Amino acid sequence: MSTTKTPQVNEVNEFLEIASDFEDPLEVIRESLSNSYDAGATEVEITIRDRPIGSEIVIEDNGEGMDYTDLESFFDLGNSTKRDPSSDAIGYKGHGTKIFYKSEEILVNTSKEGTNLRARMEQPWEKLNNRVMPEYEIKERSVKKGNNGTHIRITGFKSGRGFSPSSLTYNKIEHYLKWKTLAGSTAHYFTDDYHEMDVYITLGDEIDDTQETLKLDNKLEFPEEQIEPGEGKFPESRMCKHYPPRELTVETDDGDTATIKVVGMIGGKDARNELPTYGKHSVQFGIWLAKDYIKVERVNEVISHDNEFLHFFFVANCQDIELSANREKIRNKSSSIYQAIKEELSHYLSKIASDPWFKDYLNQRRKAKLSRRAKSQQSSVEDREKQIHDREQFMPSNDAEVVLGLERSNRNGTLPKIVVEDYNPDVEVNALVRQNGSLYASSIHHKLTDHFAADKPLEAVDKIICWSYGDRDELSELERHGYHGGDITFDLNTGRIEYQNGRKHNIHIVSVEQRF
Amino acid sequence: MGFQQKQHGNSGFEVAHEAGAARTGTLQVGDTGIKTPNLFPVVNFYAGGTSSSLYGGGIHRTMKEFMNGDEVINGGDYSEYFDGVMTSVASLTDYGITKERYEEYIDTPIKERDLFDFDGVLFVDSGGFKFLGDKTLDGSDFEVDVDQRAIIDIQRKLGADLVLNLDRPIEPDDDYETRVRKAHMTAQNVDQFLELTDRQRQTRYLTLHGYNYSMLNTFLTEIEKVIGKNRVHREFDGVALGSLVPLKDNKDKLITAVSDCREVLDDWGFDELPLHVLGISSSAIPLLAAVGADTFDSSSYLHAAINGKYHTSLYNTEPLDDVDFSDCDCPVCSDGKLVNWMEGDAEYQKDKLGAVSMHNLIIQKKEISRVREAINKSGTGGLVEYFEQSLSRHKSMQRHAHRVVNDSLGGYF
Repeated sequence: MSTTKTPQVNEVNEFLEIASDFEDPLEVIRESLSNSYDAGATEVEITIRDRPIGSEIVIEDNGEGMDYTDLESFFDLGNSTKRDPSSDAIGYKGHGTKIFYKSEEILVNTSKEGTNLRARMEQPWEKLNNRVMPEYEIKERSVKKGNNGTHIRITGFKSGRGFSPSSLTYNKIEHYLKWKTLAGSTAHYFTDDYHEMDVYITLGDEIDDTQETLKLDNKLEFPEEQIEPGEGKFPESRMCKHYPPRELTVETDDGDTATIKVVGMIGGKDARNELPTYGKHSVQFGIWLAKDYIKVERVNEVISHDNEFLHFFFVANCQDIELSANREKIRNKSSSIYQAIKEELSHYLSKIASDPWFKDYLNQRRKAKLSRRAKSQQSSVEDREKQIHDREQFMPSNDAEVVLGLERSNRNGTLPKIVVEDYNPDVEVNALVRQNGSLYASSIHHKLTDHFAADKPLEAVDKIICWSYGDRDELSELERHGYHGGDITFDLNTGRIEYQNGRKHNIHIVSVEQRF
Repeated sequence: MGFQQKQHGNSGFEVAHEAGAARTGTLQVGDTGIKTPNLFPVVNFYAGGTSSSLYGGGIHRTMKEFMNGDEVINGGDYSEYFDGVMTSVASLTDYGITKERYEEYIDTPIKERDLFDFDGVLFVDSGGFKFLGDKTLDGSDFEVDVDQRAIIDIQRKLGADLVLNLDRPIEPDDDYETRVRKAHMTAQNVDQFLELTDRQRQTRYLTLHGYNYSMLNTFLTEIEKVIGKNRVHREFDGVALGSLVPLKDNKDKLITAVSDCREVLDDWGFDELPLHVLGISSSAIPLLAAVGADTFDSSSYLHAAINGKYHTSLYNTEPLDDVDFSDCDCPVCSDGKLVNWMEGDAEYQKDKLGAVSMHNLIIQKKEISRVREAINKSGTGGLVEYFEQSLSRHKSMQRHAHRVVNDSLGGYF
């Protein structure tokens, strides 16, 4: 006997799972914009208010509106009416609107071709969590034709921790929308017949009262070009060059083809700051792969390691990449088409990196850095000149100057004459000096304590030549604890070190300061 | 003298198209017009090239059978790949031959020998590169002191159409004084070379040595000091840039040397002269042609074959054992007998590898003809597209392709 079974889906759990993927109220806006765009809207108004029971989000557009089927797919899971991935519709998985389930109430009021539908779902999140599938009620009435559009009100939206609407500002929303949603679309670079859509955002005064409304278009635009370096300390920082839209075609060994539409710019820090960035430059710039002309993930590895990705901002759109439900990740990374896309991008970017302008830009950066360094050296020369004027006598500040001081004391006729015959700062016994016709292995340091701080042995040294003794307590500590396992005593009056480590060894201390 | 010299009254170089610094043209040597950029395969006429070495000569012999279209290689006509060939005076000194053997060998000009059916341009270099790295050009076995006079004698007796002066190549480690001294020695040879050769009979190329503009400028200044301004400017039909073999693996330096050489030549008023690049071939050819080189010589087709490498393109080789010969439609790979040879069914190893050499040469010649076609398209677009489809698709070559596109062809953006 054979039995056929169909695997079952736990619908409630699926809804919970998908809706849980979304946490940030800004993601609600992203999904709403995509829906309005797909409905052909030319204007969308979004209002967010912070209410005690959670946030209230209202989305209103002048798109074509929804009929019963559209409304079903709005509430259903995985039942998009936009199933054809080759259409230019953004949502086709039927996942996006399920973010709305994380709320107290969903109200949809939509008009399409003379029919108005009002759908209401109460307590969707609470019911899902109680393992009950929430229902929605639809009321129909006739309206005048031509007043198409959709009004959605989400009440009590449950933001994830750290995503509460009170943390929103107009500035944050603007940058988010331009960076992460179709408000930052690069599609307009590739068509003369671009579907333009204006976006109006209003935040309740309790969230941000700095302006009434924010108006945005749905185009990402690059900062104005500036081919030549500017003035000042950072002449390269406003340099910016656009690389015009290009269509690249790739083909895999299996014969699959894909088109990449890439556009971008290279720019200095100031130029990049004119973009609506959403985070640090290091996590924002580089090469973005996009789908529906909305950035998804960066592929900075397509730029060779010696070209810092930070200067680059390129958006490479390809409809053949596949996305995770929340659109944050690319799913088909192991496919040959994804590899081919990366290879082609790598080739294209290698041409950009070889552009003489880019080399000039890097050169400007380097030159500016050198000139800043030269300036700081100049100022340090001035400081040093001042120190010379201010001091009363020669005062070395490093080992080599002690050598100079010793020579100067000889010239002044100080006895005994001690002449440095050989000086090599890289070795432990760094000098050989001549005194009364004999050569002595010596260690020359700014301070006597430096010899011990450098952990140099004493056995091979006849003299330690220093400007001054340094911290005498340090010397006393050495006498207390010994040095390299041997006993040591300093007699600064006679200028002697007595060191006993198996064998007794006397070392002469020359204080150059005392020779002046 | 027991031979006739060909008259070279109609030699010259005419530029047809320019794309950035790259150019196509015709190098007319006697009756033969060679389309440039072009490649002179290096052919060793001595090895297996006398009646007494009928069964010797190895791969060199097989190459000459291809050149002749002999029955033994199935009678195919390969003459188009031998429109110009280079041979070296050093191909004699490499063999410890006796005076008799030497005199017998240079007794008759190459083109007049019954053994060869060759009527292309014969470019005979001076063997100066043998001075590299303390080596000498040693003619002691055949009792000849190798100096400029002896070299010209050999070049003339072999029936050379195109000749080079005896030169003293530089090496990467040479200091300024050494380079100037070598330039001075070369200049003295050039002085003698101009006296002993007749431009009406032979096309004369001046050798240049230097890796950048300043070195080449210093070199030409030394030459001018010795032979005088007028002669530098009037007596040569072309220039040959030498000393690049030690840099052969550093494409950046090769590109700099050739593009700087063209710049020096322009500044010295030599822009009309064809520029030959000595001893460099394979994947460097398109890059160097793009920055203004007109001709090349190559023995890499032979060396690749000797090392068991079969060219699938100018820049790629496959081990001979892995090759599917049906992927190639060249005359060698389309000839059943020759394919059998390459697959190992040959009586002599020279035949197996000789056929591979011929195939490799065809690949190189075809590629350079593609470079010519790309330059001939109007503007620089053709050549940029050529690089886009070829070298810039190879990770190791990409940087160099981008460089010549940016430096010489107007860039991508």
